[in-house]
Amino acid sequence: MLSTHLHGERQNTAMKDRNISENDVITQPVKIAARKVQVYYGDNHAIKDVNVEIDDKTVTAFIGPSGCGKSTFLRCINRMNDTIDICRVTGDIEIDGEDIYDRKVDPVQLRAKVGMVFQKPNPFPKSIYDNVAYGPRIHGLARNKAELDDIVERALKRGAIWNEVKDRLNEPGTGLSGGQQQRLCIARAVATEPEVLLMDEPCSALDPIATAQVEELIDELRQNYSVVIVTHSMQQAARVSQKTAFFHLGHLVEFGDTDKIFTAPEDPRTESYITGRIG
Amino acid sequence: MTDVANSGAPAAPKAAKSLLTQDARTIKRNRAETRFKMYGIAAISIGMLMLVILLTTIIGRGTGAFQQTFITLSVPLNAEKIDKTGNRDIEEIKKVSTFGYAPLLRDAFALKVAELGIETDLSAKDMANLLSKDAPATLRDYVLENLDQIGQTVEFEFLAQSRVDGYLKDRVDRGSIANDKNISAEQLDLVDGLLAAGTLEKRFNISFITGADASDARPEAAGMGVSMIGSLSMMLVVLVLALPIGVAASIYLEEFAPKNWITDVIEVNISNLAAVPSIVFGILGLAVFINYMHLPNSAPLVGGLVLTLMTLPTIIISTRASLKAVPPSIRDAAHGVGASKMQSVFHHVLPLAAPGILTGTIIGLAQALGETAPLLLIGMVGFIASNPPETIAEGLLSPNSAMPAQIYEWAKRSDPAFYERAWGGIIILLVFLISMNAIAVMLRRRFERRW
Repeated sequence: MLSTHLHGERQNTAMKDRNISENDVITQPVKIAARKVQVYYGDNHAIKDVNVEIDDKTVTAFIGPSGCGKSTFLRCINRMNDTIDICRVTGDIEIDGEDIYDRKVDPVQLRAKVGMVFQKPNPFPKSIYDNVAYGPRIHGLARNKAELDDIVERALKRGAIWNEVKDRLNEPGTGLSGGQQQRLCIARAVATEPEVLLMDEPCSALDPIATAQVEELIDELRQNYSVVIVTHSMQQAARVSQKTAFFHLGHLVEFGDTDKIFTAPEDPRTESYITGRIG
Repeated sequence: MTDVANSGAPAAPKAAKSLLTQDARTIKRNRAETRFKMYGIAAISIGMLMLVILLTTIIGRGTGAFQQTFITLSVPLNAEKIDKTGNRDIEEIKKVSTFGYAPLLRDAFALKVAELGIETDLSAKDMANLLSKDAPATLRDYVLENLDQIGQTVEFEFLAQSRVDGYLKDRVDRGSIANDKNISAEQLDLVDGLLAAGTLEKRFNISFITGADASDARPEAAGMGVSMIGSLSMMLVVLVLALPIGVAASIYLEEFAPKNWITDVIEVNISNLAAVPSIVFGILGLAVFINYMHLPNSAPLVGGLVLTLMTLPTIIISTRASLKAVPPSIRDAAHGVGASKMQSVFHHVLPLAAPGILTGTIIGLAQALGETAPLLLIGMVGFIASNPPETIAEGLLSPNSAMPAQIYEWAKRSDPAFYERAWGGIIILLVFLISMNAIAVMLRRRFERRW
């Protein structure tokens, strides 16, 4: 994949151009700030000295070859790595100026604020309604059934799946198609009213049509959330994100506006990757 | 079976080969495959044959125990014999032992034979010997419960003694009784006469399933009922203790415990415990529960505790396996929406693992139900002819046996009538085990969910 080719393709898609032009105009406050983050898996130093500032109401894409640490870093932002025994994180990650690795922070509260969508659609083997209602229920967001119904409806609408499932809310979420399941998972993640939404390769298990739907959805979610997306597809990063971070071998090599990363990367490694020479 | 290693040498330029003919290698491979299939079919056939032999033998030998020979007699409850004072005082009537009732039976039997017009040289005593030694006790129990019937004539169905029963079941014949002092050829003639008259008949005997064990002299009166209650009490203890302890231990080990050498040691030891001979658990129970804690001997409570220890590893292993089988993506999903570890386990993981846990528990219970060896050491194997317990506490604390122990006890006794009962007991035990396994399969089908 040559950069010139990529560049030409980008001009064909209206959405991308709009994103990039908006990106130049709007500057958002910083939502997540990471300083000197190191992650170790046992003896393996997976993330080395990462500094990054992620803006609010912006889609930030993490790209990089497999095993470069982008998913690991993403999982640090809502402390999902806590569930892995051998994983150790040092350095500071602040959300709204608060250190999320502070002793006083309960990861459960953090995860209500920082939602996550996974690579493989993983709805609970429960009804569609219960899938979405689970988060609000355990966080006590609804005082009664009517409020919960409202939250579920709003979340499913935001997940752009309401019209497809509104007549079968009591059917199992696992019976939906892959793309629908992933949008259901997004709806489930937004139901708890998070401020940040992390997406770990959300389209890798989906076909192109479902991918397009999810990408469109991500663009809409930008209105309300700071979205961080890990992706293997550079076209996807170019299409949906305003900022892009390139990871390589545990280092954050380059971080900046998406159009700049894809058109005029500063680091030779970034250029090699986006032109297909490494990775 | 595969020949990968031999395929090294590069071949000379190949001649064109037809796909319609098999080359030597293919023929060899196909033969090997066919042979392997034959071995498999042979192994399964042997297994099926053994199963058929097992079932036919058990059913053939055991069904007889469910039938028993009864003799119908009208007994005048002569007040002069059983209530000499005539004031119907239960305490005084209780003083009359079963020996006091024997003459009533003798008279009634002689009367019946005379009525039917059967000619015999037997004395009244020899005639009454056809009845079970249990008959006077049956009569006495009836009188003590129905004082108002004294003086009336009441019709009873008494058990016939085991030789008579054996004669009707072709276990005893005229040739084999030559040296048997319990029965004579004249008595068998009388049996034939009574049989023709319909006074004596063989029919289904519910008290084999509900009754208590009986002494050596009265095999016809022995039943499985009380030991069945003993087994069920033990199962209750096992279920109440082993299920929560086992499931809690597995959840902790699988989901919460840090992975280090201590948990590794625990894990290895749990697997080892599952393979420890059950008699070891028996002697542990003897040392801890009886000698140290002074719990009563032969009590189903102690048996249940011992079997709990024995069943725990099985339950823990199967529960951990079914927890492991729940995909990690479900845990991630729950954590991702902000569920705590406990919420993710109890709301999502446990319901998905439940069918496996239940199946494992029932298999463990079935294993415990069939266990005899540990019961030997805590005194639950032996002649324990207690009456059915009246309360659950009594059921747990009063001496009792268990179904497999009862079968062992019967198989040990010399009288062939008990031998038949041992086979019958095996049928009851198997029915229990098969229904437990059927419940396990049904639960699994019912709660199994796909994701």
